[in-house]
Amino acid sequence: MIRTTKKTLLSIAATIFLVSTVLMACTKQEAAPSASSGTTENAAVVTEKAITLSWPRDIGTMNPHTYNPSQLFAQSMIYEPLVSYKAGGKLEPMLAESWTISEDGKEYTFKLRQNVKFSDGTAFNAAIVKKNFDAVMKNPSLHSWLGVINVLDKTEVVDEYTFKMTLKQAYYPAIQDLSLVRPVRFLGEAGFPDDGDTSKGIKEPVGTGPWMLAEYKKDEYAVFTRNPNYWGESPKIDKITVKIIPDAETRVLAFEKGELDLIYGEGVISMDAFNSLKESGKYATQLSEPVGTRSLLLNTTNDKLSDLRVRLALQAGFNKQAMVEGITLGLEEKADTILSKNFPYTNIDVQPVEYNTDKAAAYLDEAGWKLPSGKAVREKDGQALELELIFDKTDPIQKAMAETMQAEWSAIGVKLNITGLELTTQIQRRKAGEFDLDFWYNYGAPYDPHSFINVVAEKGWGVSEANSGLPMKQELDQQIHEALASTDETKRQQLYSTILLTLQEQSAIVPISYIKKTVVLQNKVTDFAFPANRDENPFEGININQ
Amino acid sequence: MISYIGRRLLAIVPIILFAILITFVLIQVSPVDPAEAYLTAAHIHPTEELLAEKRHEFGLDQPLLVQYGRTVVKMAQLDFGTSYMTNEPVWEDVVSKMPATVQLAVSSILFAMLVSIPLGFLSAIYKNSPIDHFSRGLSYFGASIPQFWLGYLLMFFFAVKLDLLPVEGKGSWENLVLPTLTLSLALIAIYTRLLRASVLEQLQESYVLYARTRGIKQRIIMVKHVLKIAISPVITGLGMNFGKLLTGTIIVEQVFSWPGFGRYFVDAIFNRDIPVIQCYVFLAACLFIICNLIVDLVQLYMDPRISLKGRTDQ
Repeated sequence: MIRTTKKTLLSIAATIFLVSTVLMACTKQEAAPSASSGTTENAAVVTEKAITLSWPRDIGTMNPHTYNPSQLFAQSMIYEPLVSYKAGGKLEPMLAESWTISEDGKEYTFKLRQNVKFSDGTAFNAAIVKKNFDAVMKNPSLHSWLGVINVLDKTEVVDEYTFKMTLKQAYYPAIQDLSLVRPVRFLGEAGFPDDGDTSKGIKEPVGTGPWMLAEYKKDEYAVFTRNPNYWGESPKIDKITVKIIPDAETRVLAFEKGELDLIYGEGVISMDAFNSLKESGKYATQLSEPVGTRSLLLNTTNDKLSDLRVRLALQAGFNKQAMVEGITLGLEEKADTILSKNFPYTNIDVQPVEYNTDKAAAYLDEAGWKLPSGKAVREKDGQALELELIFDKTDPIQKAMAETMQAEWSAIGVKLNITGLELTTQIQRRKAGEFDLDFWYNYGAPYDPHSFINVVAEKGWGVSEANSGLPMKQELDQQIHEALASTDETKRQQLYSTILLTLQEQSAIVPISYIKKTVVLQNKVTDFAFPANRDENPFEGININQ
Repeated sequence: MISYIGRRLLAIVPIILFAILITFVLIQVSPVDPAEAYLTAAHIHPTEELLAEKRHEFGLDQPLLVQYGRTVVKMAQLDFGTSYMTNEPVWEDVVSKMPATVQLAVSSILFAMLVSIPLGFLSAIYKNSPIDHFSRGLSYFGASIPQFWLGYLLMFFFAVKLDLLPVEGKGSWENLVLPTLTLSLALIAIYTRLLRASVLEQLQESYVLYARTRGIKQRIIMVKHVLKIAISPVITGLGMNFGKLLTGTIIVEQVFSWPGFGRYFVDAIFNRDIPVIQCYVFLAACLFIICNLIVDLVQLYMDPRISLKGRTDQ
């Protein structure tokens, strides 16, 4: 009995050794492509222009019609939109060469580009455009966040290269919505599942974009190569390898070792790491235009915050410039307007609320919040001026800003309690209106400014609810609905100016800073430019010096 | 023996049922609605209509007892549902990620044993010698340094400065070196001190003295008698740590971009990926029980005086 056990145990031990040896041996053969590949192996590889970058998450299933886990930048390498969003919100032809909009703003007719082929060589035409729209519309509730999907009535193939979509009601940002990375981009016939329902998965990622997925190992790496059938100007580099590196410090070390050619994105490395790489002088660094605004959302349904003077006092009572310099190390820019001026319709003159603690104190005095002698917190009718700011506890910038505001506002007699929450809880509390103050961000290009005004008017996101204490809320909502349905450019600009000015004056959304994307590049990488669309990939025009 | 193993395996059932119950209750009392967690993870705006649809799909509109019963039946069939994050069946995800974690855990344990057994043994025999001081220093260092920090340090020196090894990834055996070193240092710290103490204890036993008086060679006494008995607590620790490593390589996998189970689980926690969390708890319970069973069997092999019933009079 014991002898048998001994034998069994010995064989188990031997198996474990054998398995681990085999596992180690196996891994040797599946070596991930590295940044330096292409320098030594053979002559053909030497001429290949390749770059390697990192991304925190796996690129996902590369389904153009669904969301997580697919990563936007990678989807935009393979799939293209009808219309492309460029700097300043300019909409340019992409797979559609031109388009016309009927006078009532309901019918959109697109003339499609004729020489376009998918990466598998099949033709791009109105039929495949309709097939993609149909696949998206099979599950409209999945895409209910997107304006154009909510108002889409029907789609038609007019002729081989003409596609028409009809809306239930006029909705001016429809074209802008079509420039998004998802859900309306175009998958080739070979990628469709047999039942045509892409929400459950696709067969293969076939797109018309400049890149195609050549090699992929989930959670490890993805290799993109040039699409040989690309209709536009072919990329200057041959190969892009995306390594999945979830840890920010590891990303920096891999870059310093030369395993990565660039680190790109929003918050992909710490601000300290960015500055230290920049100051080393060994690498090139760049900051993008503002991609969004870091703001404070003030809940106007709260009695204390329903008073404009209190909101203005809070805005005047903290030093944005010092926060931007001290907390974001200058990587963000002080924000005076709720939306930065590089979006359509946002270039309006506003009187920024400057940092002035005397003025802040005067506003509070005027509102009846007096500082009793010997006390540090203002009071009114026996009630203390005490507020709660909720923040995402995993976000070091929100935490530092919350602590700074707590100190700054205590100087003007406001007691701020700060509560760190998990992101999901923070969002839940925002939507339920269970907060006094909260951090909030707009969506960026190409979603804004129409997505921003939409959440100011529509309930369900927490912003409309928080703003519902504003005396002119109904009027504001009316103006927003008019702006979204307006077909007249001048009227639309007027409406936007009024809406943004009202919000700005009401100080219910307090801009703090403009968030920017960062990139750190090895010196051999040239011609890098940030995409105008926040979600697009930045590889158009990028090159390397061999 | 077989009936003993059978009994131990059967004991897994109530423990697992209890583990499932605990996760089930925790999810019920958690303020996060699984339907909302799913939609948030998928970047879909959770409208009331969609929430109701998802709650129905997940069976969350059923009575609690029915929900628990369903969970148990499904788990018994290794059906853990679909991950909110990856949209793939959880079990398939786990099966595809487990080999990487097993590889890391096995190599760390092997390396730790390789270093700590001779080191612990020698530092006991040569008490207060330089080797003992070295082992003490190493253990102190290994036990006190945080793993993520050690990982960065090793990466910085061996990969960036000396350019000997890759920073991250799971390509060749070279990629395995730094994560293995990082994980095994803490184990080396424990095992070395454990073995040293155990050997010193055995050296005080009378059988060592008798063996010496019988003229048995010192080397034979040490290896054949002392080490064989002294290693017992190390084996117990090893069994406990193997389960711990399999479920707890989270930090090291994150730091070294090792595509294993730990990293998958961290993402699941952040995204409230409940099916994955449930699967993790289930697996962790199973692994700990099985590792304990294996340790008991190895102990039995090493020291036949330990009986199957836990008494020495059989």
